[in-house]
Amino acid sequence: MTSSSRDSVLLPPRGGGYRVFTVVVAVWMTTVLCFGVLGKISNLPILEHTARNLYFHVPMWFTLMLGWFVAAYHSLRLLMTRRRIHDVRAEQAALVATVFGVLGITTGIVWSRFTWYTGTDIWWNGDPRQVMVAVQLLICGAYFVLRGALDDERLRARLAAAYALFATMTMPFLTYVLPRRMESLHPGAEGNPAFSQMDIAPEMRWVFYASALGFLMLGWWIYTLRVRVRAAEIAVNERTTWP
Amino acid sequence: MAWLHGAIAVFQKDARLELRTRFALNALGLFVAASVLLVRFAVGNTAITPPMAAALLWIVILFAAVVGLGRAFIVEEERGTVLLLQLALPPPSIYVGKLVFNIAITLALNLAAAFIFWLLVSPEVHALGLLLTTLVLGAIGLAAATTFLSAIIARTASSGPLLAVLSFPILIPLLFSVVQLTGLAFKPTASWDAAFTDLSALVGYSGLMITASVLLFEYVWRD
Repeated sequence: MTSSSRDSVLLPPRGGGYRVFTVVVAVWMTTVLCFGVLGKISNLPILEHTARNLYFHVPMWFTLMLGWFVAAYHSLRLLMTRRRIHDVRAEQAALVATVFGVLGITTGIVWSRFTWYTGTDIWWNGDPRQVMVAVQLLICGAYFVLRGALDDERLRARLAAAYALFATMTMPFLTYVLPRRMESLHPGAEGNPAFSQMDIAPEMRWVFYASALGFLMLGWWIYTLRVRVRAAEIAVNERTTWP
Repeated sequence: MAWLHGAIAVFQKDARLELRTRFALNALGLFVAASVLLVRFAVGNTAITPPMAAALLWIVILFAAVVGLGRAFIVEEERGTVLLLQLALPPPSIYVGKLVFNIAITLALNLAAAFIFWLLVSPEVHALGLLLTTLVLGAIGLAAATTFLSAIIARTASSGPLLAVLSFPILIPLLFSVVQLTGLAFKPTASWDAAFTDLSALVGYSGLMITASVLLFEYVWRD
């Protein structure tokens, strides 16, 4: 334990910039919620007012991706530097990714069930994006199961990081190869899965962009808070350990 | 090319140990035979479409691989030979030796599974060359992913179902391509042109998995 306690996980205190950031996120998300629920909307035949779900379902998915990329980045940094703070950051980023992924897949399933599949019993439609998020969630789950199976702190950090990076390698297949080979409800599939192809009405466009940015900032806020809490827990545990 | 000699030595060691007892080969062969027989009983006399046949065959192969391939690095821990290997050879040699041995085992497993499946469930094979290519490429991809993950689980206290949990999400892109290709090989319309996309996806997947695992193995193997 002597060598690990030298590698402290305690973070420096926060400056005023972070407080400004939290206030901005809180105001920003409130505004987005108001506009998302009350704003003008293109009332299309099947979608009708459920199109508002676009403002919440898609940004959750972006936050999952951001969370997982942060986790992969800190996994790489951990293997390079062996500093424990990167393990803490990778774990908490994966946690944020999992939470937003579960929310995203739930909103997606409910949305498709009561619009395109009204009157049927189809909940799981095998859409490639749905499969992909499910696979990503399985990877997140496997990541936490692996962490749980290891007692030694340093070994756990290293193996979990190696697994996270190895799993990230399959991402190109899930994002680019599978969506081109399967049928989809999502825009831009069966061809170029690029985001710019979304045919989104002009009055909805700006709320959507604001919401995407807002969700990413919210995810970042939750992530930084979680990292602080975990670092503090580790510091307290080390101080109270029997000598 | 010292690392290549080391890899060959590791492969020869594993192959010799395996041929002495034939434990892994016998166990996997029986596992496959029993599972295909179970599939045959469960399906009964219902007609099976080519995509269904392909899906059943690869589910059997996937489970057999996860049960059988997890032992590559656990046996070294059990015999207490990890330190000797670490002293004798650099990590890439050990990994490549183990990987080639696992590819050989998986290839034998795939061919045996396909043959027993053809015997018992009897799907019509319209493109034998395509089927064999799929089995070979599938063996390489399957072995590349599971060998690296078996090195991870060898370091944990309780391996149990861990290899299945860790490997299934990673194997999904592979499973998608091989099932499409095998389903195609069971259809009368099978052709190399129609198979091109999935074959290249399979080659890309195997290459990516091998590269990533060789690069990451050092961090799993060394303390």
